[in-house]
Amino acid sequence: MKISRRAFLIALAGPLIALAALNHWVGEAAAKSVPRWEMGRVRASTDASVLALGNSLIGVGFVEDSFDQGMQVDKAHGAINVAMGGSSAVEQLLMLRYALDQGMHPRAVIFGFFDFQLTHPLEYATRDLIGNRAMLYYLEPEYARRFYHLSVHDRLEFELMRHFEVFADRGLVWENVERFRRALGQQGMPPEQSNSMGRAIDFAMLEYPSAPEFVAECGRASRNPLIPSVAEIARQAEAAGSKVYFVEMPMPPAHVETFYDEPAWDGYRTHLKTMLGDLGATYVDASHWMPDESSFIDPLHLSWEGSQAFSRRLGEHLQMTELTPK
Amino acid sequence: MEWITGAFDYLGGARDEAPPGFPLTLGNWAFWALWWAALTVVIYVFSGQSSKFIYIDF
Repeated sequence: MKISRRAFLIALAGPLIALAALNHWVGEAAAKSVPRWEMGRVRASTDASVLALGNSLIGVGFVEDSFDQGMQVDKAHGAINVAMGGSSAVEQLLMLRYALDQGMHPRAVIFGFFDFQLTHPLEYATRDLIGNRAMLYYLEPEYARRFYHLSVHDRLEFELMRHFEVFADRGLVWENVERFRRALGQQGMPPEQSNSMGRAIDFAMLEYPSAPEFVAECGRASRNPLIPSVAEIARQAEAAGSKVYFVEMPMPPAHVETFYDEPAWDGYRTHLKTMLGDLGATYVDASHWMPDESSFIDPLHLSWEGSQAFSRRLGEHLQMTELTPK
Repeated sequence: MEWITGAFDYLGGARDEAPPGFPLTLGNWAFWALWWAALTVVIYVFSGQSSKFIYIDF
């Protein structure tokens, strides 16, 4: 049976209208996404004296009120934590630039990290630009592209996708599907350990599988420079008059004993301190600050009580060392 | 079962002739617009992520 051109075009209009409607709906939902919410907080907190950046480790580990108490600053001029789960130094650089562009003049910029985040080159595919990384599609996308690598295919895809919210923020829809999928997967099964960021077992996958592999990576990473986005964070924050602190985040005792107590990590740490020192930044080794396993909720993240204790201590540390008002 | 298979084959474009008694034809353009719109939404919803780990709650 032949189909008329008119019928074909009307049938084609169905999926096109569906895509347009999805684009509108995702655009509205994206207004409440984590990056845009953090940008809103930045706009409302331009008097903040400390800007905390990083991924979920500092996202949950840095408690603004506890840090302010440790630093002995009032909340109105205290810290703002704009760290985002699953983000890299590129997104953090964009958030720093956004804060400075909004007129924020922080006395200090804190960047929390773990393992090899500061030197591990960023190679993405468009499938990785999901969740909080979706901000790469809409916050200074051309500028950000200098700091991570995409294949030719993915560059073309990126250029097409970034003009449509239905593609740029597709993770907003997917996360609901994923929640549903996990809920179904839990039917009749023993409950999985999870917290505000997701399943604990997923975070164990971010650790190195063994000490020998970690030591080998220390050797390789000790020859690597800082990735450009990390160096830019240090340069641009310093140019804005901020003191810059790179904080080696507290890790659970098992992680510390297995990986950070290796002499090879000491060598890598010295390498980092030298490179960051050359940029005028200060290295804070907080990896051993929380020696109690109960201060952590999974293989990487601090618990609420652990976060409060760490944040207060970090505030005290900065207050006692270099940020004391002269 | 054979009829259901035939109906799905027809809807998916694997065969040109609908099974006997199938209520829709290619001339029913409104149905096909809705059908492809629904498929577009389903494909979109389930094609968001291919990596094995995603932060969904933070």
